[in-house]
Amino acid sequence: MPLVQFAPFSSLIHPSFWHELTNLKIDVLRLSDEALPISGSYSVGRSVTDRESGSEIALACNLTVGSESFDKEIKASPGTILASGTFKNYNTIEEFKAADKAALFNHEVNKIWDRIVITRDTRFLNHFLLITFADLKKYKYYYWFAFPAFVAKPAWEILDDGWKDATEEFSAEQLFKIHEQLRSRSSPLPFFLIQHDASIGPVEDFASFFGSTPTERPTIGFVDPSAHPTNPGWPLRNLLAYLRALHPGSSSTLRVLCWRDTEIPISSWKSRVGVIKVESGKQQETDERPSAVGWEKNPQGKLGPRMADLAPMMDPTKLANQAV
Amino acid sequence: MQALQSHYWAVRDYLSPVLKESKFKEHGRITPEEFVAAGEFLVYKFPVWSWEKGDASKARDFLPADKQYLVTRGVPCLRRATSLAYTDADEDAERLLNFGDSSTSGEADEWVETHAGRKSHADSAPGVIDDIPDLDGEQELASGVNALSLGSGGAEETPNLDDIPDMEEDDLEEKDEATATSKPSGVVDASNIEVAKGNLLQVRTYDVMITYDKYYQTPRVWLIGYDEHGKPLTPSEIFQDISADHAHKTVTIEPFLHSTSLQAASVHPCKHASVMKKVIERMNNSVVEEQLARRKSGGSTPKDKESKKKWPFARKSSGTGKDEKPAGDEEEVEGMRVDFYLVVFLKFIASIVPTIEVDSTTSF
Repeated sequence: MPLVQFAPFSSLIHPSFWHELTNLKIDVLRLSDEALPISGSYSVGRSVTDRESGSEIALACNLTVGSESFDKEIKASPGTILASGTFKNYNTIEEFKAADKAALFNHEVNKIWDRIVITRDTRFLNHFLLITFADLKKYKYYYWFAFPAFVAKPAWEILDDGWKDATEEFSAEQLFKIHEQLRSRSSPLPFFLIQHDASIGPVEDFASFFGSTPTERPTIGFVDPSAHPTNPGWPLRNLLAYLRALHPGSSSTLRVLCWRDTEIPISSWKSRVGVIKVESGKQQETDERPSAVGWEKNPQGKLGPRMADLAPMMDPTKLANQAV
Repeated sequence: MQALQSHYWAVRDYLSPVLKESKFKEHGRITPEEFVAAGEFLVYKFPVWSWEKGDASKARDFLPADKQYLVTRGVPCLRRATSLAYTDADEDAERLLNFGDSSTSGEADEWVETHAGRKSHADSAPGVIDDIPDLDGEQELASGVNALSLGSGGAEETPNLDDIPDMEEDDLEEKDEATATSKPSGVVDASNIEVAKGNLLQVRTYDVMITYDKYYQTPRVWLIGYDEHGKPLTPSEIFQDISADHAHKTVTIEPFLHSTSLQAASVHPCKHASVMKKVIERMNNSVVEEQLARRKSGGSTPKDKESKKKWPFARKSSGTGKDEKPAGDEEEVEGMRVDFYLVVFLKFIASIVPTIEVDSTTSF
């Protein structure tokens, strides 16, 4: 059986984020490099049909931050899922380079793990880390994201029939019903459980949700930021880690619905479904934290920071030249 | 110069009165109320669009506080507009291709290949910014813009990430086989698109905003772009996605109306009203015809079939939640409703930015 491969998040930073950081740095943070809570958001994966070739092209699996990310009372706009994050800005490029990334990363991973085993809630599963250095004079911003995800050992495998269109296992009525329930919730549900009758419930109710009759392969769903036909999105990884840690007895085979339809589709549903399996028995001790990965790679495909050069859009002298 | 102009615009904008009377069919302009109504319809029908309140200090008092402008994020842009234009230049020259083994069969298959020079252009490595073709008589402008591009803007001023290689820490974490191979997001491997014949697609995304321009009394479009790695696009890169007829002429980089600091590319609205008038006239005629025909045929009979196809014109806007009235005699022939203005407007904008998929309304 092939391994399940997850499409990693890729960061998308709205220019207003850097504007807000600039203001914050000058007026509030000054020389402080304390870690701050921020938030980002993602929505279902999007794909676009190429008019020239007719093929469907998956867009990136984005996690977006903008000026609103610093807002403590942020509310998710319709159709998006909020993710909490830790933000740390360094004062000099040297400090940025010298930061102990492994320690920072481990600190965040421990926080996620503690939320899983102690408070047993799923709100922290998409927690991310962002470190930055802002060269305010040159309008250059260096940044590095990490989206921690626990590594399953042994790894998850997908049954040989692979990822299929959701319509192959769900009727249109069932998908409508799921859509309706997701939409009617006051706060969006990033992860959910699905009954045979397509009613959904929060993952925290896993033990009781499926009733007294133990299901052989419980159906779970998540809002999937990936649009790749064979790669579910990053959030699934930590959801699986959560289920393995808390419900090892009943989570070794799962049917996963990758939810990719914010709107009732005009032509066809985009959601995918597949049955995944992990070899039980060989599992490690549940209370031991699994290792984690998730530093974002730079455009060259290496583990390294990225840079946003906003001089062409921010530097007054360059703007003046452009406006001849 | 820029500052002066901006101030002039600000004063002119301040002095111009808010349009009160609906005139959209006569000259293509709309009132703020109609902008809101059309926006409501757009948001209702196409939820990729949403209202934003923008920066409070920049709020326009003739628009509702929470409905200052419309935005849609992450609009894909697969190709550069420059690759669509057919030019007389060498790159479009034709040449004969020989697929046979030339030594054995001289008469073997020969094919005419058009756009012979195109390939290298399309295959240019990701990250390489091609020069924008100079337009006749606009040398100065073009060179001014080129000076902004990363390539020629003075290398020491724009260090890229290669300059800090000591930050690459490939041993930071172990290799993880459950991570999907990280093809740069959005860059599509050639093998995936046979039809496109090995062209690399650099999928950019755009945030598109629509504001109301008080002076021109039309909507106005703003663009903020990102490359396939999520890096913000420079002005010269944005111009690659604007059709040659408009790049450098009607599209400029300006401070975004509803933000204190943000800069965005904007299509100047000076011609919007006249173009919209023409488009609306044409659409309105067909709508009126259809409505007349429907009335003649006696109300209810063809309603189902026809109104399904053209309902947005004929209906009492569903965007404002009213129900469709029976197409009986009491209904006036009213033609196109102003609710539909922004949908039409997007189709017009799509002609200026042909490769940015702003027009999600093609399902109509």
